[in-house]
Amino acid sequence: MSDEENTEQHEAARQGGHLDPLGTNTEIGRKLKQFYDGIVSDDVPDRFMDLLSKLEAADSGRKKD
Amino acid sequence: MSDSLQFKQDLLGAIPSLRAFGVSLTQNSDKADDLVQETLVKAWDKQSSFQPGTNLKAWLFTILRNEFYSQMRKRGREVQDSDGAMTARLAIHPSQHGSLDLEDFRAALEKLPEDQREAIILIGASGFSYEEAAEICNCAVGTIKSRVSRARTRLQDILKVSGEADYGPDAIAAHVMGSGAGV
Repeated sequence: MSDEENTEQHEAARQGGHLDPLGTNTEIGRKLKQFYDGIVSDDVPDRFMDLLSKLEAADSGRKKD
Repeated sequence: MSDSLQFKQDLLGAIPSLRAFGVSLTQNSDKADDLVQETLVKAWDKQSSFQPGTNLKAWLFTILRNEFYSQMRKRGREVQDSDGAMTARLAIHPSQHGSLDLEDFRAALEKLPEDQREAIILIGASGFSYEEAAEICNCAVGTIKSRVSRARTRLQDILKVSGEADYGPDAIAAHVMGSGAGV
């Protein structure tokens, strides 16, 4: 086992058994979530809704044949 | 609700996270959206191979990731742009407030090799377990752990921040207040 894994396990033990080296109490962990959640909260472009509707329509068309 | 309607709803629900993962991989929102589109089409076609009750999000992330790497192989290394325009545009400027700016963070994230970047995103942002991330990346759990750990160290180096987790939440409060930046 590497030292790194050891450290992580110590941290995990300290945090009540939850392995969270990127938790919100680290600057890196917080920025990572801020970066990612910023994209997640963007509006979903219409093209995806259109695409799924087309796929669905194509499917039901096939089933009728 | 029909299975297919349910599946459609579930796919729709997964789009925001797929886009975020796509941007993390490609660092480009147009390319990311193309990747998401491919993923949705593939997922729809492979619908019957998805086992209801298992983790749809992990299944979709796997498809998107495979698609990304197969496109990358096709295009050579064009997708990787570590010294390119994007990096220049997002060059790291010294922060005026002493707090880490989001653009600085994006630029730092871009400097990571893909394998480390995807690992730290899956674990630190997408909310997957190490086991799930290992499955998505088709590698051992220990490999994911070491990639995350290297990514974290590298980001801390680039951004010159320390791993405050070692000092607990009080240190963060002091840091935030001391920086005078507010968050």
